[in-house]
Amino acid sequence: MSDTDFLVFYLCVLATILACRCVPLLALKGRELSPRVSEALSLIPPAAFAALVANDLFDPTVGLSWQPIAAAALVVVVARRTSSLIWCALVGMGAYALLALVP
Amino acid sequence: MPMRADLSAALRAALPVMLGYVTIGIPCGVMAAEVGLGPAAAFLLSSTFYSGAGQFMMASLALAGTPIASMIASVALVSTRQLLYSAALSPYLASAPRPLATLFAATVTDESFGVNLDRFAADEAWGPERATAVNLMSMLSWAFANALGAAVGPALAIPTTVMSFAMTSIFVCLLVSRSWTFVTAVVVSVSVASVLLLKALGAGSVSVLVGALAGIAAGLACGSFEREGRGSRR
Repeated sequence: MSDTDFLVFYLCVLATILACRCVPLLALKGRELSPRVSEALSLIPPAAFAALVANDLFDPTVGLSWQPIAAAALVVVVARRTSSLIWCALVGMGAYALLALVP
Repeated sequence: MPMRADLSAALRAALPVMLGYVTIGIPCGVMAAEVGLGPAAAFLLSSTFYSGAGQFMMASLALAGTPIASMIASVALVSTRQLLYSAALSPYLASAPRPLATLFAATVTDESFGVNLDRFAADEAWGPERATAVNLMSMLSWAFANALGAAVGPALAIPTTVMSFAMTSIFVCLLVSRSWTFVTAVVVSVSVASVLLLKALGAGSVSVLVGALAGIAAGLACGSFEREGRGSRR
C-alpha cells in the first residue's frame, strides 16, 4: 500500500469510526426519551454481547467446533461464581489453550 | 482528593480490559509490522482507530492485496455496532460537558462499554470522569501493546486465537453476569441464532450489528406481548 493509499484509507475509516461512536450519544444526550426508546436501549447490552460471543465462537469455514464452546462453558461457570473479568479472561485463555491440544 | 479517587476507581475497573488488550495488542502490532507500519505509526493508528477487529482486518486485507475501497468498506462495517453502544450510553452522559462527552464517546470499545455500563448501573459514584478514564487507560494499553508488537515484529510467534479468547471470555462474563429475565433470554437467543445464520450465509462483518438488532427487535416484541398479556388478565 502506498503512503497516499494509506492516508486515504486512514482518514476515511477514522471519520466513519468517530461518527459511529459520537453521533448517537451526542444526538440523544440530555433528551427526554420515550419509554419505548429507553426499553430498546436497555436491550442493547445483552443483544450486543450475545452477538459478539456467537461471532467469536462460530467460524463459517469450520462450523461450530467443540473446543471454544467448552472453554466458553467453563467461563460461564467462573463468571457466575466470581463475576470477575480477570478470572474469566485467564481461565478462558488457559482452557482454550489446553483444549486446542486435544485432537 | 476526588481526582485521585476517580483514577484509582477507574484503574481497578479498567485493569482486566487493559490486561486483555496487552495480550491481543501485541499480535495485532506484529501484523501491523507485516504491512509495513513502524511502532510510532502503530501507536497512532491504534490510539485513533482503537478497534481490534478493524485493525486485524486492515492488516489481513492489506496483506491479501484487497483494493483500498473494499478495505475502507469492510473496516467501516465492522465499526457500525458502535452506533448501538453510543446510543445506549447516552442517558448516563446527560449532564456531562460536551467536550468530555465527545472524548468519552470517541474512546468506547466493546469491552469498556460493558465495564462502564455495569458501573453506571450499580455504582452511584460512577460518573463520566471515571468512565472516560477507563476508556483512556484501556486505549493507552492497547496503543502501547500495538507499538510493542510492531517493534518486535514477526520475530514473536504468538498464537493469536488463544490470545483473542481473552476477549471472548470477557464478553461471556459481561453477558452472564447480568440479571436475566425472560425477555433477556429471548434477546440473547435471537441474537445468537441470527449471527450464526448470517455468518453461515456469508454476511461477514455486518453479522454482529444485524444480529444484535434482530435480538433487540425480538425483545421489544416479547415485552409488548408480556404487557398485553398482563393487561388482558386484569
